Amino acid sequence: MMNRHILHTLGCIFLFLFALSSCKHGEEEYHSITDKIEAKSKNYHGVTISSEPLIEGIKTIKITEGEHTFLIPERKSQIKQYACTECHSKPLQEMQSNDGAKKAHWDIKLAHADLNTMNCISCHDGDNMDNLKSLTGNTINFNRSYKLCSQCHTNQFEDWKGGAHGKKVAGWAPPRASMTCVNCHNPHQPAFESRWPSVFNTQKVKERE
Amino acid sequence: MSSNKKWFSLNLSNSKTASTSTCGCGKSSGGCGSHSDHQMSDHDFDTAVDAAIGDERKKDGFDQVFDVQMDRRTAFRKLTASLLIGAGAVSSSCSVVADDEAKEKAQIDWEEQFKGNYKLMNDDEKKATVDRLVRSYQIRKGKTLNMSSKDAEKDVLFGYAFNISKCQGYMDCVSACVEENNQDRNSEMQYIRIHEMKDGKGFNFNEADDNYYHEVPAEGHFYMGTQCFHCDNPPCVDVCPVQATWREDDGLVVIDYDWCVGCRYCMAACPYDGRRFNWSTPKVPEAEINKNQHYLGNRMRKKGVMEKCTFCVQRSRAGKNPACVEACPTGARIFGNLLDPDSTIRWVLENKKVFRLKEDLGTEPKFWYFMD
Repeated sequence: MMNRHILHTLGCIFLFLFALSSCKHGEEEYHSITDKIEAKSKNYHGVTISSEPLIEGIKTIKITEGEHTFLIPERKSQIKQYACTECHSKPLQEMQSNDGAKKAHWDIKLAHADLNTMNCISCHDGDNMDNLKSLTGNTINFNRSYKLCSQCHTNQFEDWKGGAHGKKVAGWAPPRASMTCVNCHNPHQPAFESRWPSVFNTQKVKERE
Repeated sequence: MSSNKKWFSLNLSNSKTASTSTCGCGKSSGGCGSHSDHQMSDHDFDTAVDAAIGDERKKDGFDQVFDVQMDRRTAFRKLTASLLIGAGAVSSSCSVVADDEAKEKAQIDWEEQFKGNYKLMNDDEKKATVDRLVRSYQIRKGKTLNMSSKDAEKDVLFGYAFNISKCQGYMDCVSACVEENNQDRNSEMQYIRIHEMKDGKGFNFNEADDNYYHEVPAEGHFYMGTQCFHCDNPPCVDVCPVQATWREDDGLVVIDYDWCVGCRYCMAACPYDGRRFNWSTPKVPEAEINKNQHYLGNRMRKKGVMEKCTFCVQRSRAGKNPACVEACPTGARIFGNLLDPDSTIRWVLENKKVFRLKEDLGTEPKFWYFMD
């Protein structure tokens, strides 16, 4: 009699355990993807994949803006005729007034705001061509030209710091390396030009006839 | 006897006696005309033909072959013939005369034919099938592929964000995707669709144009892209009758092209038009084939199987961005690890006003739209 009672209890326990384990079967643990992201990223310890091999050949500098620290491509070595003072030995005024002499930068057309707002020396320092200058006359390094852009384009700057504006240099994996403003925008003509799409699907046209 | 036969019949049993109850034509009852000692009359001949193939005239297709009366000897003879054909096939793969390459090819084809579902394979089996596919391509085309079977990384969940105020409709993403993923050039298959929509009309797909060809961006329009959204609760996976498609641990919804039976249920179940079907054998010029492949990604597909965007699994699992993200000149496409709190995709989700397409369906796509 006692044995039967014990067997019965054991059986009940097994059944209960089985029911417990099978309840979860096939069901998602999370109510929504945001819950899942939140829960799973609590124990995030980094990934073994790295972007480092992808950006190996690219010279970068590390910048910290607000709470964001990331890499951007180094600029000076990409400018063909840097340092500028190799030609710009005299102040800009003197070089410009010299009519009939060799013209330089003739291909640069300024299409960035209007001439009331901006001209060459809004960004370039006429007295020291190797650097840029802020609106208040402070020196800005060519490698950190984003500081110049961010004076006016504050929203874009915020988005860029966070990663909503602009592109990554290579992969998604850390360390983060983002393009800087002038890697996509020509600072003298920053707008994107309109053009034709790169593909047209002729089959789609036939299918939809 | 054979001198006055109306047609020649092969007598495999070599019996020369006219007294046998059966004859070469295989009829055991009635006359087949080969045993008569005299020239047949026309009438006799017609009856004989009727008796021989009368039934077959009325039978159609399959029945004509299988639903025939036949005696034991004919049955044996036919069986022997088919056995010989079979043996020929086997011998071509096992013979000592055939060259090693042909044998290896046959062996690979055999093993590929009878392999299991990739989803259920262990690492060794995955590696074996990838090695077989690489070797098979080498034998057939003489070129070497680099095919990966890399599994999902721990602590990775891929997510995507699309900035609809940045996209200009250049479609550079579309061409980059086609080249990266070896999509069929004949049917011009494209995973990505860029929809040109009128300002002020919202997401109105009925009036949108996804195959425009004029200078872009067009006045008064905005552009948004769709592709596979890699839903966290994917309806396409639920409907697959053979479990040839599933969600990986890093969130990618993938297809085993060798397990897919091509029923296209998934295509019907997808609310985002994210899946494509190979109506014909996909063809890519040899020089344009991307040889950096993944089993679940851009390896060559065959006729009659589904395919779709895999967030370029061959790239993303190696730390790179998908081809579309890399190709986009406007930076409208953001890709990253949703589980990394410092990733840019997380910043977008937490700081921009994001939304998803048909969010109310509960498919939980991991593809968000946002605006500046």
